[in-house]
Amino acid sequence: MAAQQKASSASQTPHLSPAELSYLYTSLSLPQNPIRPDGRSPTQFRPLTAEPDILPGTNGSARIGFADGTQAVVGVKAEVEKTVLSADTLDASNLSQQQGDFAAQEGRDGREGAGSAAVAGHGSWVQVSIEIPGFRDDDALPVFLSEMMRESLVGSVAGGNDSSDEMAGGLKGRLVINKRWHWRLYIDSQGEEDPFFDDDWAVAEHLYPRGTTNSTVKLSSSVPQVRPPITLLVISVGENTIFDPSREEIAVADAVLAISVARDGGDKNLKLLSIRTIDPPSRLTQPAVPNSENVNALGATAPTEDVAVLNPATGEEEVPGVWRPRRGGVKRSVIAQMVKTVLKKGGVGEEVLEGLEGVEVE
Amino acid sequence: MSILNVFNSPTTFALATCVMADRRRINGPPGGTRPAIYATSLPSIKDADRARRQRQPSELRKIFLKTGLIPSASGSSYLEFEPSASLAAARANPKSLIPPSSALKLACTVHGPKPLPRSVAFSPNIVLTTHVKYAPFAARKRKGHIRDASERDLGVHLETALRGAIIAERWPKSGLDITITIIEAEDDRWWGDAPDSHDASWGMMNVLAGCINAASAAIADAHIDCLDLVSGGVAALVTDNDGGAPQLMLDTDPAEHRSIVSACVVGYMPARDEITALWLKGGTSKAALDEQDGRSGHEALVDGAVDAARGAHMVLGEAVKESMERALGQTT
Amino acid sequence: MASATGAASHPVPPSLSLPPSQFARLQPHAYLLAHLSPPAASNQPSIRANGRASSQFRVTSANAGSLTHTNGSAVVRMGDTTSVCGVRAEILRTEDIASWSVSRTSNEASNKRRRLAELNEKPNEEDEDTAADDEEDRAHIEDLNLLVPNLSLSTGCAPGFTPGAPPSALAQSLSHQLLSLLHSTRLVRADDLRIWYQPPSLGPEELERHNDDEQMDVDPNPSGGVEDHKNREIKGFWVLYIDVMIISLAGNPFDAAWASVLAALRDTKLPRSWWDVDSEMILCSDNVSEASKLSLRGLPVASSFCVFEADAAAGWRAVVIPDAEEQKARSQKKGSQQRWILADPDGYEENLGQERICLVVDKEKGGKGKTVVLKMEKHGGWTVDTDDLRQLVDISARRWDEMKRILDQC
Repeated sequence: MAAQQKASSASQTPHLSPAELSYLYTSLSLPQNPIRPDGRSPTQFRPLTAEPDILPGTNGSARIGFADGTQAVVGVKAEVEKTVLSADTLDASNLSQQQGDFAAQEGRDGREGAGSAAVAGHGSWVQVSIEIPGFRDDDALPVFLSEMMRESLVGSVAGGNDSSDEMAGGLKGRLVINKRWHWRLYIDSQGEEDPFFDDDWAVAEHLYPRGTTNSTVKLSSSVPQVRPPITLLVISVGENTIFDPSREEIAVADAVLAISVARDGGDKNLKLLSIRTIDPPSRLTQPAVPNSENVNALGATAPTEDVAVLNPATGEEEVPGVWRPRRGGVKRSVIAQMVKTVLKKGGVGEEVLEGLEGVEVE
Repeated sequence: MSILNVFNSPTTFALATCVMADRRRINGPPGGTRPAIYATSLPSIKDADRARRQRQPSELRKIFLKTGLIPSASGSSYLEFEPSASLAAARANPKSLIPPSSALKLACTVHGPKPLPRSVAFSPNIVLTTHVKYAPFAARKRKGHIRDASERDLGVHLETALRGAIIAERWPKSGLDITITIIEAEDDRWWGDAPDSHDASWGMMNVLAGCINAASAAIADAHIDCLDLVSGGVAALVTDNDGGAPQLMLDTDPAEHRSIVSACVVGYMPARDEITALWLKGGTSKAALDEQDGRSGHEALVDGAVDAARGAHMVLGEAVKESMERALGQTT
Repeated sequence: MASATGAASHPVPPSLSLPPSQFARLQPHAYLLAHLSPPAASNQPSIRANGRASSQFRVTSANAGSLTHTNGSAVVRMGDTTSVCGVRAEILRTEDIASWSVSRTSNEASNKRRRLAELNEKPNEEDEDTAADDEEDRAHIEDLNLLVPNLSLSTGCAPGFTPGAPPSALAQSLSHQLLSLLHSTRLVRADDLRIWYQPPSLGPEELERHNDDEQMDVDPNPSGGVEDHKNREIKGFWVLYIDVMIISLAGNPFDAAWASVLAALRDTKLPRSWWDVDSEMILCSDNVSEASKLSLRGLPVASSFCVFEADAAAGWRAVVIPDAEEQKARSQKKGSQQRWILADPDGYEENLGQERICLVVDKEKGGKGKTVVLKMEKHGGWTVDTDDLRQLVDISARRWDEMKRILDQC
């Protein structure tokens, strides 16, 4: 049982030796200018191709591919579903609204109940499923990913811009057809070929926007283009903040955050939608043994000056160059720094959004 | 293959719901049942009767936390939140069958460390399994017997929060099972309110904070080495009057507020001042902060949640002390 | 445990320098046997390893109505076994019952008969149910699945049960035992679960009034005579979802589960409900004063026992079923007790005996009448005979008094 449930982020980590982990960590945590294995700058994303509307049977679809061969396909399907009033929101006033048809016929009270339960929509109307080869659909990772996607989608564009009535309630508000019917959105994502969780993730998260935009355009064509949210995967290594990490980079991260942002209404500012910590796989790696403690190496090598120093980022005593699994959490200042890099004007979030807006959606 | 799946997904979902009527449980009427629909006789009752926060913005609810109630487990704890003022009033003097709010109640057991089954690959660290399940009667809406996405999600969050604190390499090749049964959950909003644009499963965040606290106490009760007692806390930005800027409140009961703009839950280790798990939802840009407060909204929110976690940490300390005293009393 | 270890130190041979707790794990059978049959010289009473006498139940406590989102709830602790039960009522509309329109005609007839019978009787004599009522109760509650008990052990209550896995065999069997006991004791009355509708047989001027105040006329409890009942029809039923979570398992889950079900049902309140003609749905009143408690039939209390045999391998060796008389004579000859019937076994004792007895008894007239055995179940061995069962009924009757006191207090 433990075998299947173990499939958290850790089980997808590449099998790197402690020495490799240590080497990666050291190069990524170099102050000021970290050296990434593929030579990118900390905020640089991998080149990416996006192709919308590839599946004729869906209401919106896209394929995204990275230069390294990772790709994912997303389809969005909308179905009409009857709105069932739930007991916890129903009371006399909603009831009278549900009887709106009767009332209208009798000519007594034909007003539409605006801003009430039925109009606000419901988060559960959006259903996200992510399929990653090698995972069962009820494993922790796909569940976690899809919940995260759904959360930021549903929460996106909600509130803030009350100026446009159409946008009230965000995405879920737009799913309302009338009091009795609503759309149910099925979003399916498939990782292919090289399904490392981080890559697939980045792919999927870029993809979602595409898919959703397509579907929303069809749902309510009068709405001015509203950009769906994006989720960025950010890691911190030492004192550095690194974007769009590859899976090797994630394997040594001190902290992994998924930060969802969206455009805040009409203005160009970015709005934070959600932050989630993700269990860094570095917590489950194998530790290395320093020479001073290594029985096999005793006497074989010259006594080295293995002096444990305090790693300022983790607060742990460490021997440089000797890999220790990460322990503990992350400092608040580190989180604040990571969020700031995303949100600030001209920051990474804006850059990514602009890049995505370049993808054509008819 | 992928394309096929995209087409199939709605059908497979429908199939899944059919399969759910499993023969290993006693199922209700095949035609399905619906929850009771109340026709509140007095529409005016709505606003006068709504639950209101009686606490100060930074005042936390009392937590009842007890360890060692389940002897067959290596560690266990039971956690209960103090009922809100409105709920306490409704209990003392019941008028309506609709409860104004609810108070979290959950039980946590820890089984292990125990050897991993032979089929599992070698692990140099302890393998943590977290399992969160609502009792069918825990929430306003009846929950199913099989874990849904939100329950699995809670399990993942909890695992993230705990794994940062457990010193995992002390138990190679071992497993640790943490099971939480939620007997009563928190509401996502006041029952009379229609879900508004900020609606989300806010109650889940309180549940997660409770899960972290209970699991932390149960792990300590099982004598598993940790860096610190990781404790959970919730803070939220709420608007209680129309048009006002969102205020920062600690340990919010969503049923007591008109609208929650954003909320944050942390798993926090006070001794190291580190966050093991963070989950923040909703826009934070409009938070009402002091002029001289240099922090941005999300920073203030995280700080608030940390403050709430610090409060919970004191309760945790007491509970764990009690657990140690009991353990010492047994051995001597 | 402290008292148990004290008692254990004596019978353990001095050469064995194991602490009692380890001896208990290594040689559970010998350990319990040493407690139950102390050497005659030691002058110690026969007592179980947990410090109880053989017919003694664990300390039981119950607490009802503490869960917010339930119609009725209870927590019952029996020693270290804890059971939480929540009852949720939901509505089954007759239009959702596939066979409803077919079976209705026959029901109508029996309804009328029942109404007449009810009129002849005074309402406070409800204990004397008519045969017709019984039959209809069974028809509705059993055929329509109005009672849905489910027991869950996947709560981390004991190490053996994997959370998230489908219900174990034990959980399934306990759920079905609860269901069959609910049915066979006819604890819940079907009439409490029916939602009636009385169509107004009114003249035009009264129809006017109906528009003014719709709730007046749809009152499900019209105080009229037989004529008024004529057109009454059932619009729906309350379905009681009775979910039992065993939070902590230390033996004898059934007694604890049943006690919690019983306490929760005693706590259950159903809102007043009626068929609303305008919205064509069943509506409920949230007014507490209008809600009604279930009127349960009696108070069936379950008591479980397990048999501990002195000869650990007796069950293996016996090839032929021995004559009961012969067996008894032999044991009397030997002079030492060969088996003990342990009431309310804990987890340790349950592992040492195969033979189980479960008795469910009730007492008529709230405890003053004679004892009624509602269920008697015995399996796993052949050592318990009719005399023993008779004694166990007496023990169960005493347990009934104790449980009634506990349940009345909660």
